[in-house]
Amino acid sequence: MTSRTAYPLTWRIMDVLEGVAAAIWPRSMARATPYLMLAPAILLVGLLVLGLLQMADSSLRTLDTNTFLLSENYSLANYRRAVTEPLFAVVAWRSLLAAVIVTAVTLIFAFPYAYLMVRTRSSALRKILLIALFLPFFIGQVVRAYGWLIILGNQGMVNEALGLVGIPPMRLIYNYPAVLFGLVQYMLPFAVLMLAPALTAIPEELEAAAGSLGANWVRSFRHVVLPLCRPGFIGAGVVVMTLSLTDFAVPAILGGGSQDFIANAIYDQFFRTSDQGLGATLALMLVALGSIVVGLVFSLFGAGTLAVSRKRK
Amino acid sequence: MKELSMPYINRRLLLQGAVALGGASALGLRGAFAQEPAKPAEIIVRAWGGSWVDSLKAGVSDPFTKATGVAVRHDLTEDNEIQPKVWAAVAQKRVPPIHINWDTTTNATKSALRGVTEDLSDLPNLKNVTDLAKPVGLDGFPIVNTYGYVYVLAYRPAAFPDGAPKSWKDLLDPKYKGRVAFYNDGIGFHFPAQVAGGGKLEDIPANMQPAWDFIAKMKEQKPLLGEDPDFTTWFQNGEIDAACTISTNAREARKNGIDIKWVVPEEGCKFDTDGLWIPKGLPENELYWAKQYINFALTKEAQQVWLDGLGLPGVVPGLTPPADLIGDPSYPTTEEDFKHLIRISSKVQVENESEWFGKFKAIMQG
Amino acid sequence: MREPLSKKLVLWAFVLVAIVTLSAPTIVVLGASFTAGNIITFPPDGLSLKWYAAISQASDLRNAFLRTLWVAAVCTVVAIPAGTLAGIALAKYAVRFERTIQTYLLLPFTIPLIGSGIGLMLIFGQAGILGQLWPVGVAVCVINLPFMIWAVTASAAGLDPDLELAAANCGAPPLQVFFFVTLPAVMPGVITGSLLMFILALNEFLVSLLLTDARIVTLPVQIYNSIRSIITPDLAAISVVFIACSGLAIVLLDRLVGLEIFLKSK
Repeated sequence: MTSRTAYPLTWRIMDVLEGVAAAIWPRSMARATPYLMLAPAILLVGLLVLGLLQMADSSLRTLDTNTFLLSENYSLANYRRAVTEPLFAVVAWRSLLAAVIVTAVTLIFAFPYAYLMVRTRSSALRKILLIALFLPFFIGQVVRAYGWLIILGNQGMVNEALGLVGIPPMRLIYNYPAVLFGLVQYMLPFAVLMLAPALTAIPEELEAAAGSLGANWVRSFRHVVLPLCRPGFIGAGVVVMTLSLTDFAVPAILGGGSQDFIANAIYDQFFRTSDQGLGATLALMLVALGSIVVGLVFSLFGAGTLAVSRKRK
Repeated sequence: MKELSMPYINRRLLLQGAVALGGASALGLRGAFAQEPAKPAEIIVRAWGGSWVDSLKAGVSDPFTKATGVAVRHDLTEDNEIQPKVWAAVAQKRVPPIHINWDTTTNATKSALRGVTEDLSDLPNLKNVTDLAKPVGLDGFPIVNTYGYVYVLAYRPAAFPDGAPKSWKDLLDPKYKGRVAFYNDGIGFHFPAQVAGGGKLEDIPANMQPAWDFIAKMKEQKPLLGEDPDFTTWFQNGEIDAACTISTNAREARKNGIDIKWVVPEEGCKFDTDGLWIPKGLPENELYWAKQYINFALTKEAQQVWLDGLGLPGVVPGLTPPADLIGDPSYPTTEEDFKHLIRISSKVQVENESEWFGKFKAIMQG
Repeated sequence: MREPLSKKLVLWAFVLVAIVTLSAPTIVVLGASFTAGNIITFPPDGLSLKWYAAISQASDLRNAFLRTLWVAAVCTVVAIPAGTLAGIALAKYAVRFERTIQTYLLLPFTIPLIGSGIGLMLIFGQAGILGQLWPVGVAVCVINLPFMIWAVTASAAGLDPDLELAAANCGAPPLQVFFFVTLPAVMPGVITGSLLMFILALNEFLVSLLLTDARIVTLPVQIYNSIRSIITPDLAAISVVFIACSGLAIVLLDRLVGLEIFLKSK
């Protein structure tokens, strides 16, 4: 008896929990365990799917501008408009191109940042790098854009500096490159934070070993670090690409009004012209486009982490 | 549950009684105190932020609270963005998130056509208002217009050394390339563009090709496109020399010390109105007090203070214009002033607006 | 081992560009909040604390901030178990229809936020739970959930199936294996993921806009809404207070948990 009470409390709690778990989820169902683990996330995302179903319904109805109600009967008119009106092709192409460029540039800058943050021996530097990542979040998108206007505007700091050496002011914001730049700045923290855990998982000794075998740092990056970091790259890449593709705020505030993405066209339909049907249609088509892109990435590069851990089995 | 225990009162009767009994008080309802439905703790009025809400608070909300004891909370959600929220609430038979929507007449008309607005034709103070208060092309008063405004051509005098621009065509001068701004859906510019492009206003909406041609020319100027706050920001930071915007935004920049003026060019400017309306689905007593709020907003006292802040002409006769706007084309008072302004019925506007926005976007995004 | 100079130079070149880009607008806004004028400018137009005085008077801002903290807490509390379990499941097991599930779980990112917002507004409206704060937290969790899942899967390379097998062979029951072997291995991902979820929830405005009303408005929504007529320095001052609060939170977290151990390589 006395020996039993000597068990730490946590052990006993664990025993009870194990008992409960075994009762609810017997070992014979072990094969289904991964699905049980996925269930909460799938249900949460299910909320969005319910919303998509609503949208699928409205996408088949057209707006009557005499009553501002959607029609009772179904038709494919919205889809026809979405594929035939040139405006939507323009914004779709612009978003897709931006998603690709932004992903590439963001990953190129995120990797050294994450690498330094993870590998540095100075804990102060690590914290500074971490805090610098979060700095832009806290001023919000709109105020951030105002900050950029002060820096990059016609009378902004950069143009004033250029003026000192005799270069006339030029338009640095309110164009496509400015939108790309703003997106990279917005996405960089996400990419770094996705890469960092993948990098921490790569033992430093592995690099040291490569070095001692005569590989210079570029070679050890190429043949050791980058391949091992692949899960992180795929995670970060997919995140950055989908978020850029569907972004609304950056094109709206750094594009000067003429650099709309698909999400801006969707915003216009929902909020400006009150055409929920066409808005829903565009939203669904964007979801399809995004999912195809994700599927493409997965089939080209594999679905991330999984490849690594399974190979070792 | 509170509403159920209350004896049922016919609203129309009550409002009429209020007029009859309370002639002297500003609200016209003090005398009806015994019959008043229960006061809600607060009513929520959707408003635009910044100087817009400050003016409303000073002119209408605060005096209303003082007179009735009903607190007013302002919801600063954009008019475009509250619309789907209210529509969904009515469709799902929920209590709407706001009591009163301060809205553009065009947007409000969409809500009226959809049938989500309460009828306001029994407001006692409607008998004192000008024609401007009545929405054109709708039955009764699903909305009450509360003031008008002009989409002027605002400009920096320094950028126009030869004097004020006389025509919208002046903006096609190459030296204004990248220095002109419009609303991102082109609102306010479609109709003057129709005239500037050689077309007739009577042809709206049947033939607006002249407008699209003119806008396509304007596209070559690489204009900036934005919303209300952008214009003030851009003028303040020297990003633009001219813009087609509501005079209030230009006046705001001027108050902040920016040298800025505005004109109504020879082709004219779009004149439009904003209004107040109440969404369906409110409990009976809250509806009553929401109506009282709008009724109060139509008094001369409330209009004077509210619209001084906005610098816009109201719908009650005898208002004194702010000192800086006497004789200003953006503050039309006489018939002569209105001759230079373009007013298209909200019915025509809402029926065709999506198409116009779409065309404008297609040109500008291309 | 000494780092070669060329490696240092290249790394630092990229990192410096990144740091400048990340912090420049924040520094400008920080400075501008001390302006004595009425416009956001940099350098500020005279020095004063008047915009801080202005926001300290506004109790609605404080309430909105407290509500935002609550929303962020709900979001994080929901995200940690859901995201961690899903992340581990995807990383550890050979799941059928895996790519389909992965693509499905990325829906929060492939659906534009406006679409998610409208959809959730309709769903929550039907359920009669609009007007409360916790559904906003759940919504913000859903739209950012992939961050949590991917942060966990990204650290799952540290998962060693042999270790788990060894523990099981020694007679450790499944929950013990999970809590003492599996979970610690993915902890860096869980920490970065939840930090990200919390911070994103503090700043979400588009979906929250559709799910809140004036009585339960959150701070980012209030800021987003108050810029209709002009952007005044009080917004800059709010941002600075926000930065200070989050700085404090990060320091606290560091003291309590130690950010160090989760980011340093083993």
